[in-house]
Amino acid sequence: MFGDPVTEDRAVVTGLTRGRLFGRAALLGGALFGGAIAVGAVPSPAASAPSAEQDEQTLKYLLELEDLQAAFYEQALKQGKLEGELREFARVVGGHEREHVAYLRKALGEGAGKAASFDFGDATSNSEAFLENAVALEETGLGAYTGAAPNLTAKTLRDAATIVSVEARHTAWARDLAGKNPAPRPTDKPTSEADARAAVEKTGFVKSA
Amino acid sequence: MATEFTDEADLELGELDQDGAIAEAVGNVWGDSRADFLRKAALGSGVLLGGLSAAASPAHAKVGKTDKSILNYALVLEYLQADFYSEAERLKTLKGETASQARTVGAHERSHVKALRGVLGRDAVKRPSFNFRGVTESTGAFRRTAVALEDLSVAAYAGQAPRIESKPYLVAALGILSVEARHASWIRRIAGREPAARAFDEPRPKSEVLKLVRATRFISSGARTTSKKRPRYTG
Repeated sequence: MFGDPVTEDRAVVTGLTRGRLFGRAALLGGALFGGAIAVGAVPSPAASAPSAEQDEQTLKYLLELEDLQAAFYEQALKQGKLEGELREFARVVGGHEREHVAYLRKALGEGAGKAASFDFGDATSNSEAFLENAVALEETGLGAYTGAAPNLTAKTLRDAATIVSVEARHTAWARDLAGKNPAPRPTDKPTSEADARAAVEKTGFVKSA
Repeated sequence: MATEFTDEADLELGELDQDGAIAEAVGNVWGDSRADFLRKAALGSGVLLGGLSAAASPAHAKVGKTDKSILNYALVLEYLQADFYSEAERLKTLKGETASQARTVGAHERSHVKALRGVLGRDAVKRPSFNFRGVTESTGAFRRTAVALEDLSVAAYAGQAPRIESKPYLVAALGILSVEARHASWIRRIAGREPAARAFDEPRPKSEVLKLVRATRFISSGARTTSKKRPRYTG
């Protein structure tokens, strides 16, 4: 797999077109996210050996996903419509995502771009929609980290590995809350950057600046 | 976390490895069989490890000494977990969601054992004998031990990830790390604990992990007992 000359779409995200805001029904379909991730995804093969420059590109990509997750939970808490354990989940997990954002921004320094702007529609105020989207966003983030991590330098990988497991904990927790099997497979598949970006784009959450 | 592990799991800090059973069981993970490792040439084709297909694995790659040591270390931890879950299931100790979790997770751990043995072939460390000292016989003790073992497994894989030399094995290890963390989150929630206690999971080095494993005294050279009485450890 790492010997294969797989070309990867490295389209820059800043120019994302404003996605259609999906109605609740479409979001609850789940197939969008499930489909994007379940494709026999090969993790993005590195164009070259691990390097600081490549780490920067990878961390920038991961930061976009963390920004999205952090904003999702922040919005959910702000709107105050979640109750009980769902609210606790949003509080705890949102706090972690904020810490991940802080870590990535610190690691990137000047290289960290501004966060995109987001519009979550009713996905943060409706419990069912919130949970379905939390599951999807966490699965996407987890797949992205496990897909990207093998390309990192050892030092950065050390840190990334400590985040991978936390995203996995989030994912399992969200799935458990949603009545789904928290751990459906004996091992988790990595997601390519192209597939992760496609999953994000389909949510319609990211607005152009 | 060491304190949490032993207290929460109701385990005793026994004397370390009186009869050398532990040393024998985990000896290979320290690379004692270097000569054997170096003699091996090819990784068997058609081997599955985690999500990797046979086609993706380097069919004739030498598995490096470091990677073999790491994979054998992982194998010991997977043997431990697999047998723990298998025994609880066999004893029919559990009910409800705890039983479901044990069935699902046990199947995963057994699959990890199979995958790692498949890759290591003749270099795979042998399955140790286990004595779970009653923790598979009550729901509370089972839950506490499962939490401890899953959290430990996460810390162990995270500790090794940066040391893995071969990319396909790193990919596979991360795929397993991810699932062990799902397991941890799941059993924690069942046990009424925080599924995700912190933003970054602390990695642990091998020496520390194996020390914790030895402290459980789960690995024994003797026959397993399922009696409720605590067995006398005659060393």
